Amino acid sequence: MVRVLTPFEYFEPKTVEEASNLLRDYGEKVRVLAGGVDLLARIRRREIQVEGLVCIQRIPGLDYVRQDSEGLKIGALTTLRTLERSQEVRENYRLLFDAIHSIHSIQVKNMGTAVGNLCIATPASDVAVSLLALDAQMKIAGPSSERSMPLENFYLGVKRTALQPGELVTGILVPPLPKGSFGAFMKLVRTATDIAKVNVAVRATLRNGGCEEVRIALGSVAPTIVRARKAEEALRGTRLEREAVVEAAERAAEEVNPITDIRSTAEYRREMVKVLTRRAVEKIKVEAGVKG
Amino acid sequence: MRGKQVIKLTVNGEPYEVEVEPHMTLLEVLRDKLNLTGTKGSCGVGECGTCTVLVDGKPFLSCLTLAITVRDKNILTIEGLARDKKLHILQKAFLEHGAVQCGFCTPAMLLTAKALLDENPNPTREEIREYISGVLCRCTGYVKIIEAIMSAAEEIRRRGSEYE
Repeated sequence: MVRVLTPFEYFEPKTVEEASNLLRDYGEKVRVLAGGVDLLARIRRREIQVEGLVCIQRIPGLDYVRQDSEGLKIGALTTLRTLERSQEVRENYRLLFDAIHSIHSIQVKNMGTAVGNLCIATPASDVAVSLLALDAQMKIAGPSSERSMPLENFYLGVKRTALQPGELVTGILVPPLPKGSFGAFMKLVRTATDIAKVNVAVRATLRNGGCEEVRIALGSVAPTIVRARKAEEALRGTRLEREAVVEAAERAAEEVNPITDIRSTAEYRREMVKVLTRRAVEKIKVEAGVKG
Repeated sequence: MRGKQVIKLTVNGEPYEVEVEPHMTLLEVLRDKLNLTGTKGSCGVGECGTCTVLVDGKPFLSCLTLAITVRDKNILTIEGLARDKKLHILQKAFLEHGAVQCGFCTPAMLLTAKALLDENPNPTREEIREYISGVLCRCTGYVKIIEAIMSAAEEIRRRGSEYE
């Protein structure tokens, strides 16, 4: 039978402010419990030690997904499954839908929240990669103030975020997509339920057959998820001709800094960045009806 | 809060009052406190899905759910799937199709399949494969499990009921 969890103190704040105060007072001794899938598994594996958990599950008003003029709004308690089943996400933010849909355990999606997934700060997160390509903003609450921050600036390293003591993420804002936006999410995995060896999300805005704007986000190939800015430059202003796509894929592979671990070697990951980036752009071309 | 406290749980329609500590999982409470040992535990980290129970109708991993967080919720375990001594049509279909080999994943497979059919009464093979992919069958008997779920879905649609 599995090992038991080590005992901890349990807090159940009723408001974000109360949660924030607890996080400030207890600092690194406590962790936020939302869905718990990753957190409790890590406590059980003895990867982390906690003296207390701040359970935010019973704070009202944090479980929502809605679209308005500012974009798609996701609450801190909104599960991956809720997002997967949301018509707005499926129809208007396909890139996010595809990333969530690629996660195969229904149990994990019923329990796990999108915000929790981002706050784990693993560079392998499918959700984070797609949200980076979508220019998502994190809504953050602290003991006395609120702020928002681009997801791009949220990560400092493996399992390290820019959250200050007392701060917690209360939601995500995904800005409205410009007309002519297309996206593609791809990942390389050994089995359907495994973590990605490499994942990539590309979003491009096309106008009159030309690539006006593009985001290329990559996961599992650096200490944090990353944008391949030089690869983006290679595509911006082109008509996504074959040469431009190949050039972008080459540049993306040069920009990443992968490691060798049980899932892949660094060399293989770098090579696969090239392949997946090219395929993702090609998929966008097919969807957008761009020839060549 | 720290130390023991009494919480209310609703399991298979029955109300229970149980003394728990905050770090006790739903799996531990079901098996060790309520003696409902149909729910299995294995990996403890969300890889195998064998500890699946339904929380308000949704498949949850009971080994990664703190019991204290599901107080006031409706929990369905495999012990509550048959009613009035009648098997659920999914259970019958699993028997008829030989979808049970060692049986270790069966409670989780059945409950996950029930949640699927509640959500989508007419799933495709592919939709079934995706939905049950979080539960690992150690015997790799997936083909018969999928066939059993397909057949049960049809039977439930035909009868308009989950029970004979």
